[in-house]
Amino acid sequence: MFACEKSINGETDVLTLSRVTRRYGANTALDGVDLVVPDNTYMALLGASGAGKTTLLRLIAGFEEPDQGEIAIHGERIDGQPPHLRDIGFVFQNFALFPHLTVAQNVEFGLRHRARAPITDDAEIRARAEAALELVGLAGFGHRGVGAISGGQRQRVALARTLVCEPRIVLLDEPLGALDANLRARMCDELRAIRERLKVSFLHVTGSETEALTMGDEVAVLAGGRIVQSDAPEMLFTAPRNAAAARHLNAWNIFPAGLCAGGAAQGEIAVRFDQIDVSPPGAVPDGRPHLAAQYLTGEFNGPTALSFFRAEDGTLLQVVDHLSTPRLPELTEGARYDLHFAPDAARQFHGAA
Amino acid sequence: MQSRALRPVLATYTALFLLFLYGPMIVLAILSFQGPEGGPQFPIQEWSVYWYKHLLGFAGTSRVSQLPVGDSLLRSIALAFMTTVVSTVLGVMSAEAFRTRFKGSGPAFYLIILGMMVPGVLVGLGMALLSNTLGLSRAWWSTSFVLHVVYTYPFAFLVMLAIFNRFDRSVEEASLSLGVSPAQTFRRVTFPIIFPGVLSAMLFSFTLSYDEFARTLFTAGRALTLPLAIYGTFSVEIHPNIFAFGVLTTLFSFTLLVVYGLLMKRFTARAARFHGQEES
Amino acid sequence: MTALSTETPSRPAAAASPAALRARKDRNRALALLSPGLIWMALFMVLPMCMVVYVSFWTQTTFSVEPSLTTASWQRFLGSSTYLAAIGTTLRIWAIVLVATVAIGYPVALFIGLFVRNKTVQTALLVACVIPFWTSFLIRVIAWRPMLGTEGAINMILMKLGIISHPLEFLLFSEFSVLVGMTQIYCVFMVGPITFMLGRIEPSVIEAARDLGASFGTIFRRIILPLSLPGVMVGAIFVSVMVLGEFATAASLSGRKVNLLGNIIVSQVGSLKWAFAAVAGVVLTVIITAVIALALRLVDLRKEM
Repeated sequence: MFACEKSINGETDVLTLSRVTRRYGANTALDGVDLVVPDNTYMALLGASGAGKTTLLRLIAGFEEPDQGEIAIHGERIDGQPPHLRDIGFVFQNFALFPHLTVAQNVEFGLRHRARAPITDDAEIRARAEAALELVGLAGFGHRGVGAISGGQRQRVALARTLVCEPRIVLLDEPLGALDANLRARMCDELRAIRERLKVSFLHVTGSETEALTMGDEVAVLAGGRIVQSDAPEMLFTAPRNAAAARHLNAWNIFPAGLCAGGAAQGEIAVRFDQIDVSPPGAVPDGRPHLAAQYLTGEFNGPTALSFFRAEDGTLLQVVDHLSTPRLPELTEGARYDLHFAPDAARQFHGAA
Repeated sequence: MQSRALRPVLATYTALFLLFLYGPMIVLAILSFQGPEGGPQFPIQEWSVYWYKHLLGFAGTSRVSQLPVGDSLLRSIALAFMTTVVSTVLGVMSAEAFRTRFKGSGPAFYLIILGMMVPGVLVGLGMALLSNTLGLSRAWWSTSFVLHVVYTYPFAFLVMLAIFNRFDRSVEEASLSLGVSPAQTFRRVTFPIIFPGVLSAMLFSFTLSYDEFARTLFTAGRALTLPLAIYGTFSVEIHPNIFAFGVLTTLFSFTLLVVYGLLMKRFTARAARFHGQEES
Repeated sequence: MTALSTETPSRPAAAASPAALRARKDRNRALALLSPGLIWMALFMVLPMCMVVYVSFWTQTTFSVEPSLTTASWQRFLGSSTYLAAIGTTLRIWAIVLVATVAIGYPVALFIGLFVRNKTVQTALLVACVIPFWTSFLIRVIAWRPMLGTEGAINMILMKLGIISHPLEFLLFSEFSVLVGMTQIYCVFMVGPITFMLGRIEPSVIEAARDLGASFGTIFRRIILPLSLPGVMVGAIFVSVMVLGEFATAASLSGRKVNLLGNIIVSQVGSLKWAFAAVAGVVLTVIITAVIALALRLVDLRKEM
């Protein structure tokens, strides 16, 4: 069956993980992860801290090995191979630049010293390193020490150092985590632009849903040691397939279906923050599922306002109102209201999550 | 309130302690400039550098026989050098091994550390007995040498262990991910970064071996090392030439320390860069 | 039967996960890196020590030893009041020096580690304590002779000040001079670890205690002392091991009045009484092992270093 997948997708998938499991003693960090990274794709991997994102990258890069499962590149198994023969780029959160080398020497390092097909022609090495530095916008910085440049520039050096070796895929471990907010936004655009020029797949790990949704051509959500959904960002955002995926998007209220009058009684229901309306008790329009909740407080965020409610079972619910098109009534703290939504706005999940 | 009164008391006490530490050496240094007719005590008959000349063999005939420092100095330096190389290599290898968790690492740790704990007389005696039994002749470059390594290797190991504790493993992983083999990664990334530590381990090993005599006493055979030559004078009357020697050997140790300091300084610039990387 | 036996060995390898294989590879690498050092220690430390125990049961003739087993050397050692006294002397000197290094070193460590806030001054003071360690050990021992002798610096100063009229005889070539010499030489090994431990105490902890109205005595008893005890233990291990194995200081400063176990070993080897030296060696080993074992019960060396 696996061979069959290979023949169909072999041309378009770079990286395939099947049932990858990693345990640390009694802890299971990854529990049967299935993930496919297509060719020429910016893939974002979203997960809470401690969800095993970094472990997953380390398994792919070969710094650690899985207890079970297979990892393949272009259909060829790479688990069990030593990391330096995998031909996979890795950009570290702390950049991990070589502190004793200059910027140029950092970038030239792989070309010069790699085990497979090292380049011996000095002029070629220098030309390629300079081209890589230019690609990341650091032309002319080669002679600097890596301690003499800023955090954002270090990030670019780390990227150039990886890209110059033309790896089959580039893994980025929270690459923007160590940068400040302004820099992060700019690096977001640049990372996308650089990737599009090189046409190599990126697998970008992050804990921020905004980062994942803006960056990724495709976003995979890692929760409970598994990939709970992998989809295009719009699909993921508008139609999460399960409660775990919905929870990571920070845009969905998730509550037991039983709370809701006029809806199904089983499983869980998710409704987006911006698709819930509020009415005084008993004033719910016909045909709309609704639930009772107490208004707690509101939060004003500029163009949007966020209101917090507590349902009868204690679940916290959030409602977003856009200032340009307000739809909420005047709310009194501590008062009870009915929250309602269009039947097709709700996504229903079955089973425990 | 009490602690405020305590502070000057402790400061004075520390000053007295330093006097206690340095006093004898200062007296010794002063007495090394004793005149040719003076003894190893006050008063100074006349100020002179006679005993330095005596030590170096320029004093002509004298009532005091010359200290046998020439050959023994060369031997001690050669021995310290051999010991430094071997114990540093062993220390780096062992500390590198301890970066991986493995069963039995506890006993292995204590076996290594035991080398600096076991008294020199004991291993020296054991080594002498062993070589007698095996019919091997004892010499500074064989039986003494292996014992010196037993003593200095734990120090080198501990220094390297401390260095590796602070070492950021991700730089090595970065090198691997660029396709560079583990051996090349060690040579081109790990070693240059840990080099200041290696230098410290070498300094430790050299000084300890250069000064070691308990382990050498029973194992050096007939050719003496420098500390043995000094120890030989313990049983007989001492003369100011020993004081002169003490001053010179102390200067030698300090020269070594300065060379080490200069070498370290060359690498602090790199270390600073390294710290810069972490702070961001 | 044959088919079964050919298949069995290949099974575990095929079944082992990549993680298990990597773990095994890492372990083998660690062992390969470690084995030269461990083999060195086994051959040149453990084996000689075993040899000492073994030879202590050999037969001693006038000029050599023969490998026929006997307890004669042990009987002679344990039956001689001189040698038993040497054990007593060794233990007494050890205990006094240990107490003296703690008593003299602790306040210094307290000052450097806790009272000096300026990092540069702190380092400078520590370096000042460590520098004598870089000079020759034997020279430092010998340096006490012109200090303590009847015509030495101390007697001279005391006489000039009119405190004494005759030079104090007990200063040199006595147990006193050995104790002074050892205390000075080994104090550094006590000051270092204690300072290190005290330096790790957060100043804010002490500030907080002071703000809550605790007196310095209370702070010392409740915070400083417990936190510095591991340092005292590490220092005690260093000092104990070195003092118990000592012979040079006693040989140089006691005028043959103080005979430690180490001195007995040296003099017995000098007269080629190998078996007898070995007995003294085993006794010394037992004492040191007991002391270290006791100390290791109180502190985990691996954690503190």
